[in-house]
Amino acid sequence: MRRIVSRTGYMILILVLSSIAVFYAIRLSGGDATAAALPASTTAEQREAFRERLGLTAPIYVQYFEYAGRILSGDLGNSLTNNADIGDMLIRHGKNSLILGAAAFVLVFAIGIPLGIWASVRRNRAADQGIMTFSVVGMAIPNFWLALLAIWLFASTFHLLPSAGCCELRHLILPAVVLAFEGIALTVRMTRSAMLENLGQDWVRTTRAAGLGEIRVIGKHAFRNALIPIISLAGLRIGQIVGYALVVETIFGWPGLGQVLVNAVLRRDYPVAQFFSLVLVALVVIGNWLADLGYVAANPRLRRA
Amino acid sequence: MTQTSVDEHKSAWEAQLLAFEDSQYLGTVRRLLRGARRNRLVISGTILGLIVLAAAVLGPAILGSDYESQQLRNIHQPPFSIADLPDQTQHFYLFGTDHLGRDVAQRLFVGIRVSLLVALGVTAMSMILGILLGLVGGFTGGWRDRTIRGVTDFVWGFPLILVAVLFAGGLGEGLFPVVLAVGLVNLAAIARVVRGEVLVLKEREFIEAARAGGFSSGRIMFRHVLPNILAPTFVLASYYVAVAIIAEAALSFIGLGAQPPLPSLGVMVAEGRNYLQVNHWESTIPGITVVLMVLSVSLIGDGLRDVFDPRLRHEAKGMES
Repeated sequence: MRRIVSRTGYMILILVLSSIAVFYAIRLSGGDATAAALPASTTAEQREAFRERLGLTAPIYVQYFEYAGRILSGDLGNSLTNNADIGDMLIRHGKNSLILGAAAFVLVFAIGIPLGIWASVRRNRAADQGIMTFSVVGMAIPNFWLALLAIWLFASTFHLLPSAGCCELRHLILPAVVLAFEGIALTVRMTRSAMLENLGQDWVRTTRAAGLGEIRVIGKHAFRNALIPIISLAGLRIGQIVGYALVVETIFGWPGLGQVLVNAVLRRDYPVAQFFSLVLVALVVIGNWLADLGYVAANPRLRRA
Repeated sequence: MTQTSVDEHKSAWEAQLLAFEDSQYLGTVRRLLRGARRNRLVISGTILGLIVLAAAVLGPAILGSDYESQQLRNIHQPPFSIADLPDQTQHFYLFGTDHLGRDVAQRLFVGIRVSLLVALGVTAMSMILGILLGLVGGFTGGWRDRTIRGVTDFVWGFPLILVAVLFAGGLGEGLFPVVLAVGLVNLAAIARVVRGEVLVLKEREFIEAARAGGFSSGRIMFRHVLPNILAPTFVLASYYVAVAIIAEAALSFIGLGAQPPLPSLGVMVAEGRNYLQVNHWESTIPGITVVLMVLSVSLIGDGLRDVFDPRLRHEAKGMES
């Protein structure tokens, strides 16, 4: 219990620190803020007045506290490029990202775990070697290229699925699979080695000797134990999915948080870039915190410490 | 006892210690390499890596490294084609041309160089710094350790692509934010692992023996601890090289990394994506190259881990029987 409280306190500290880091990182460029919003013909005085109005002339730490205050009071500001309300953007794009991220998250475990078990049961046979080769190659293929291959094959050549767009199920399939791919490859490996470790234990031999069927030995006993490290580290997959979503959403034109952030960075729309960086960083921090808690929950010895 | 004989005793003591470390610990690089020479994964990964490296080093010398010239008459040529240049000479296009009539082979070689420079160069630098920080933090403890650990724990948890996008947001797009992000995240990861290894090693008898021999902390750190943590660090580094290659290519692909006309592999894939139906080679050749590079490094990494981790070796033995 004490550990959970201390990990949570640590998580909040990290959240605050990273919000400061993000604020400074996005502000490194400083002067560029006016370039996106104002036409090229604007005079220097007008630009200065614009900065003044946005509060960009105050010292940066003052700006940070003002910004934090505004965010906490729910005033998120507007985009510099199309004046859209950032709060509305968060809701609209956040929903899309949530759908895509959740689909990928489910795929990682729904495909990764069964494949890993199958590989461990058929150890060193053709099925195992095939699955493990897939896993090695799956981790070596960068997802932007996988995305491209998928579009080429399923959209351009066979016309089975749309290459980009939102937000029906047929639009979701390709980006979700691509986003999940590396996670699947990783989960297969983790499941296989955890299963092998358990299948080699004495108590598995004992349950076999006790006359339990093979399905029960694998399904009920070895599997349950093997699942602990995989589920407990599931939080880490959230961070991975957030990182890759930046690339995958951009390629498939899936209007989620990642696509918004990348576009904002490219267009120097700094209020949007700043806020959506904060959102994604917060997601990663929370994912890591969940993994931390899961790790504690899975290791009873740590619970007392 | 005179000073010379004390020194003689100390150096004899140290020689014995070093011999003991060499016989006991897998952690030394020499032992790792000895095992690696016979490992199938390491061998195949190395061969693959050498092919890519040869293309980057020898390719420009043989076929040139002109990545900018456009021959607008010769656009979308397939691989192994020969086409006329404006000056009536003929040019052999090994990998064909792209949508602007640029030589894909020459662009590819330069792209591999960019990728290798970012991945290997940055990982090497972050390894040196990461090892130093982890070593000093883990060995000396106290406020140094707490500071280093606080910073590395903070940085480590973030996905590389997100960190790079943040830097690109502040510094503008280009290779520099990518380099900064890769360097920072890899440094933190390496420092964490090194620190963990040092904490374990610190408790071993031979470090105790070195202390008893009257050697300074600095000397113990660099002569007795450092050589024994290098191997696990190298195993880890191979993984981070792979991560860096993918991150650079992915960021260049979405337009935040290398800027045209500099041909990063990611840029080449991105430019070719609109012409997949016309001449897919413009995109597939750099794409396959990225896969081969990553595959090479991960095979070496997997192999080294098998050599290094005795528990996994045990499993491998069981597989043979």
